[in-house]
Amino acid sequence: MSEKPKVAFFDFACCEGCQLQIANLEEDIIGLLNLVNVVEFREVATGKAPEYDIAFIEGSITRKSDEERLKDIRNRSKLLVAYGQCAVTGGINLLKNNFGDLDMVKRKVYGDDSSMPHLDTAVTKSVGEVVKADLAIPGCPVNREEFLRIVKELCLGKIPRIPDYPVCVECKLKENICLFDEGTICLGPIARAGCGAICPSNGVPCDACRGAVPNPNKKAMHEVLKKYNYTVERIIREMNLFGVNPEVSE
Amino acid sequence: MDIVKIPENDFYKFVDKKIAEKSSRIISVVRKGTKFVFDELDSASRMCLDYDVTILPPKKYFQPQKETLLRFVPKQADSYEAVNEFEPITLIGVHYYDLAAIYLMDRAFSEGKKDENYLKKRNNALLIGLYPTHFFKYRFSSSVIKGEQPYKVADLMLIHMDDGHFALEIVTEKGRAYIEGAGCKKSDYTLKEIEDAKNRIKDDQRLPIPVELTPDYLMKNHDHPVWEVFGEKCYSCGSCVFVCPTCYCFDMKDEIDLTLKSGERTRNWDGCMLENFAVCAGGHNFRGKRAARFRHRIFRKGVNLPLKYHYWGCVGCGRCADACTSSIAGPVKVFKYIEENK
Repeated sequence: MSEKPKVAFFDFACCEGCQLQIANLEEDIIGLLNLVNVVEFREVATGKAPEYDIAFIEGSITRKSDEERLKDIRNRSKLLVAYGQCAVTGGINLLKNNFGDLDMVKRKVYGDDSSMPHLDTAVTKSVGEVVKADLAIPGCPVNREEFLRIVKELCLGKIPRIPDYPVCVECKLKENICLFDEGTICLGPIARAGCGAICPSNGVPCDACRGAVPNPNKKAMHEVLKKYNYTVERIIREMNLFGVNPEVSE
Repeated sequence: MDIVKIPENDFYKFVDKKIAEKSSRIISVVRKGTKFVFDELDSASRMCLDYDVTILPPKKYFQPQKETLLRFVPKQADSYEAVNEFEPITLIGVHYYDLAAIYLMDRAFSEGKKDENYLKKRNNALLIGLYPTHFFKYRFSSSVIKGEQPYKVADLMLIHMDDGHFALEIVTEKGRAYIEGAGCKKSDYTLKEIEDAKNRIKDDQRLPIPVELTPDYLMKNHDHPVWEVFGEKCYSCGSCVFVCPTCYCFDMKDEIDLTLKSGERTRNWDGCMLENFAVCAGGHNFRGKRAARFRHRIFRKGVNLPLKYHYWGCVGCGRCADACTSSIAGPVKVFKYIEENK
């Protein structure tokens, strides 16, 4: 490669935890900077650039003005990558959409301040619902190792692949004791892997923060959860956290 | 076959001696929470030979979950060099059904062009087998394994006796040399005492039909509703195949370092129960339905491997049945369903 690709990082409605993962790459940050030219990254550097080879977008899109800003970035980028679950599906911010009445949501959250202009809000959208996202890197937050792999593969002109199998695979590889055996429920059987089963490995049930696998067997999930005496309301609540549609088709 | 005996305490001391010698990694069964795993020992006191079953079988030492096969410079076609990393290991306390499974793995990796990465690891391993001392509710090995099968790979077999001793069957000369200096005495047990100790744990489960008949039986039931009924409950999570001692499927990945100047080709565990396992060029998935994948797995164990190797492709360890949150993976349950719904 003659010249390093110009890379930029942007954030929308999010906790900025994903960009913190990038800033936290420790010794690998040097390697990353040898590979790409970071031209815009508000959290760690000053400076702006007119166009980008790769734009990494964090956060969900929750305001009209954000849609315009995102479209502008898209127009100035060769590749646009949604990274982190907020950008990929809407993430945690999708919870807001479950209530319908957004004014009520705003009042509930912000009380008397809810009418202030910077708290303007609309239905949560993923990046891909507003502009074309060439690639999605799931996770809350993103997995740093996976992020690095994807940057390398993009630099080499490969098409990066994201794991499409459930978290159970990674639990088995780690010889974790299945949380179902311990009387806990876990969304692992329908959740997308790639995290290294980090939560179950530490005794915490999977919340499916990387979303569901492409074809989750929700019917089986409902049956198993009912076997463990979970109510339908509880099942819906569990699946809703990261926007896994709990409805069973067929 | 010679049989010797050794007091249990002396055997543990002997293992400590072998750990201190450092001539090979000593691996045995240790506790992990409420379950058991194979792990490297730093002290024989961690060794737990009265286990029911381990989460993963010992195949992880011969076909590692991730294994480097090549190193190369990206975009330089002639730059690759083969990698084959192995070291001497001793596995202590491998249940007889896992030995039977290692025999099947040996067959698979020796077929056609021999797989040197697997075989070098295997040839540098000493296997000390064990007859189970604890019941496991999903185990049905006694109805699918032939008696001689474990002895095709074991170097030594441990049998837990009632008087605080292990009886030790010396299967190979390598095994005989290994226990020299352990302080074993000639066995004075009767054959009946040995056989009773080997069979002390009775399996609760049995395959409902004779194992020799399964290839024909399954072929006749190729279109039985069982595959749809069970497949519908399958998550395609692969738990059943990752914990299986006779599953050996893998995927290849190229991994490049951050300088983009060196890379490794690795092989990684994969499984036919994962939804996209059978996706091929052009995006076609020739086993895209849950029922088809479920049938394929049972056919591998009950038709394909038995016809090829004359031994059943499943050793009845029961790990799949235990690992499956939907409670559908155990072969006994599948055969019972067919029997009950003829």
